[in-house]
Amino acid sequence: MPLNHIKETQKKSITVGFLYEVNKERLRLRTLNGEVGFEKEIRDKNIHRPGLALAGYVELFTYDRVQIFGNTEMRYLNHLSKQERLHVFETIFSFDLPCIFITNDNELDEELVRIATEKHVSVFLSPFETTKLVYYVSDFLDDQFAPQTVLHGSFIDVYGIGVLITGRSGIGKSEIALDLVERGHRLVADDVVMIVRKSENILIGSGSDVVKHFMEIRGLGLIDVRATFGIRSIRYQKRIEIIVELKEWDPNIEYTRTGLDHESIAILSVNLPHIKLPIFPGKNITVIIEVVALDYLSKHYGYDAAKAFARRLDAAITEKTKGKRVIDYFDHDFE
Amino acid sequence: MVQQEVIILNRAGMHTRPAAAIVKLAAKFKSEFYIEKENMEINGKSIIGVMTLAAEQGAKLLLKFDGPDETESCRAMVELFQSGFGEPVE
Repeated sequence: MPLNHIKETQKKSITVGFLYEVNKERLRLRTLNGEVGFEKEIRDKNIHRPGLALAGYVELFTYDRVQIFGNTEMRYLNHLSKQERLHVFETIFSFDLPCIFITNDNELDEELVRIATEKHVSVFLSPFETTKLVYYVSDFLDDQFAPQTVLHGSFIDVYGIGVLITGRSGIGKSEIALDLVERGHRLVADDVVMIVRKSENILIGSGSDVVKHFMEIRGLGLIDVRATFGIRSIRYQKRIEIIVELKEWDPNIEYTRTGLDHESIAILSVNLPHIKLPIFPGKNITVIIEVVALDYLSKHYGYDAAKAFARRLDAAITEKTKGKRVIDYFDHDFE
Repeated sequence: MVQQEVIILNRAGMHTRPAAAIVKLAAKFKSEFYIEKENMEINGKSIIGVMTLAAEQGAKLLLKFDGPDETESCRAMVELFQSGFGEPVE
């Protein structure tokens, strides 16, 4: 859809099994009760440490979140008598928990595992410290439940800047992407760019798993950029930093002439610089896009060409030095 | 904007050849054309987009048309889908 009409979606839930499968190696997870409760759904991106619930206070207990038992929870459980422990477990398992993570490879009584199994709740064990596990699991859930969308465009890493080229079908996005790849830049995705919002203001774009780094060039058909240009010509994902919209030259639209006023566009509620490039024959868009990226980098490192020029002009006006040569006398430099 | 739900009828699904037929037909019209499948919406004039959907036999798709010839475009496209792209449907 056009940039001003983006279909935003968000996962409603993931299964416990999926959470386990994706993270089991990274978090070195072991499951204490097989695949019990793998079909259960997680609907909240937050995690919970149920210290107070274990102590018996279950008001506002956010039971529907992933529960993490750190050292505090385990020490508390272990200082109770066995009878008390069982009672505590009966209490918290009267709620419909999605799953439990135990950190620091802490041991859990067999009876307690049995109760979890009866209630159909997976219990995972990880050697990670609680803070680390909380960080990784939260980050994973954040990503899974992040707002996402799909945009039609070409997405390329130009000098380390993620440039998303948009514009109507057939305007030449893929050809420009190919040209950029030829000049040593890296293609992230062509035509179908899948976008996820990370934390509050970062957009990450990537290709789809079916298409990977294929692109269509009108008149040629499908080409595989990775097979043709090699590993250096591609990457899997990249932060999106600039939107360049290609438009047919329209005399009724005003294009920026100084670059002093910046337009921006909100995608998934993240504001990005939005550059509208009019195209016409004889205009080398590839080079212009490289300059767009370099200019963005300059600004990032504190130099804004338009502002610098404006300052120089202001100085010239106050000092009345207009119209002179760059250097008054070249000292026999006839080059 | 005109919308129409369609179902993939042919056995092989929306593979390369039907995908090419879809984008070729779409290119004949001025209207914008989008296809939605399971909350994912792609540009129906892009063959890469259409193939991304990897729609199998029985998949439900929502076709959306927006522009001056949206009605004609919709009629022609629905016809193409209903023909099973001229392929076996059993």
